[in-house]
Amino acid sequence: MPDPIHQFEIHPIVPIKIFGWDATFTNSSLFMLIAIFLVATFFILAMRGRSLVPTRVQSVAEVTYEFVAGMLRESTGQSGMKYFPLVFTLFVFIFTANMLGMIPGFFTVTSHIIVTAALAGLVFLTVLLVGFAKNGLHFLKLFVPSGVPIYVLPLVTLIEIISFLSRPISHSVRLFANMLAGHITLKVFGGFVVMLLGAGTYSFLAPLPLFMAIALTALEFLVAFLQAYVFTMLTCMYLNDALHPGH
Amino acid sequence: MSDPADSRGPGQRQMSPEEKAAFEGRISDLGEKLGKVKAQRATDAQAELDAQMRGRGMAYGMRMAAELVSAVIVGGLIGYALDWLLGTKPWLFLLFFVLGFAAGVLNVMRAYERMQKEFKAKTDGRIGNSVPDDED
Repeated sequence: MPDPIHQFEIHPIVPIKIFGWDATFTNSSLFMLIAIFLVATFFILAMRGRSLVPTRVQSVAEVTYEFVAGMLRESTGQSGMKYFPLVFTLFVFIFTANMLGMIPGFFTVTSHIIVTAALAGLVFLTVLLVGFAKNGLHFLKLFVPSGVPIYVLPLVTLIEIISFLSRPISHSVRLFANMLAGHITLKVFGGFVVMLLGAGTYSFLAPLPLFMAIALTALEFLVAFLQAYVFTMLTCMYLNDALHPGH
Repeated sequence: MSDPADSRGPGQRQMSPEEKAAFEGRISDLGEKLGKVKAQRATDAQAELDAQMRGRGMAYGMRMAAELVSAVIVGGLIGYALDWLLGTKPWLFLLFFVLGFAAGVLNVMRAYERMQKEFKAKTDGRIGNSVPDDED
């Protein structure tokens, strides 16, 4: 049976060492660069015409913009639009990386927790910095819910702090786990087809996992979009907490 | 049009009874076919919606699990670190583990509330398939 984990292996392409730091260019870096290159070229080419009546490609770019802008405006209000570049970049990068991963033989960048953790950490730090810069110590009110009796307040505050600190973990694990689990499942079902084909009399059962794999592929495309959407949605909500901490 | 006995229009007035029967047979055949296509379309749309909802459900399920587990992990880690710093093994770990669990439940409750709001906004309050009520 083909190893379902094999697809997530990292291979060095160009070994680079900077002052003892290992900054090797790997297949993961390559696919991140491909994703960025695709996104940049797409948007530059799509918006080159800047026509009032958009062409097909231009309207795809515009719809993407409207989609993310609507999401951000809905949860943070107009004041959050300052962070639109960050949110839009996150959405488009994750979406492209997820979709690239759906092409057979390609590497899925977002199936490695270090990548999603870096993205979630970026969001977490942004929320902290923006929160303290905009509201000062008032930001700490996020941890002190109103209307709680004074004798349980310390306990509730502690729980709120743990809940806040758990955000980057759930934020990153969700995307990573979905991509990892989906790709492993696909590979396992694909492996079943091959195994059943070699099973002599039982080989007539081989189409069953094949149909399952086809259905799962469709589901994975949905998940690839949905997880990019959920990641962006949560980013918007966390930014909203930083901008308006009083709830 | 002037003939009150046949109000079906000028085209059908010259039809013999056999022709009429054949014509009506064709109409009912067509109606049957159309009904089949329509039913197929409805089930296709329903299946598509079901698949979408299932994908969404799976995503939400994973999300809830991540919300709960991550808070427990963070709580446990904080407790473990404090124990290591203060030399109070294992008491703070136990305390913060439980607090982490509480925070996890809080996370899940909040995520659920948000999910409900999202669903309500999308389906105007109708969650899932509508089932006819006995009272209606």
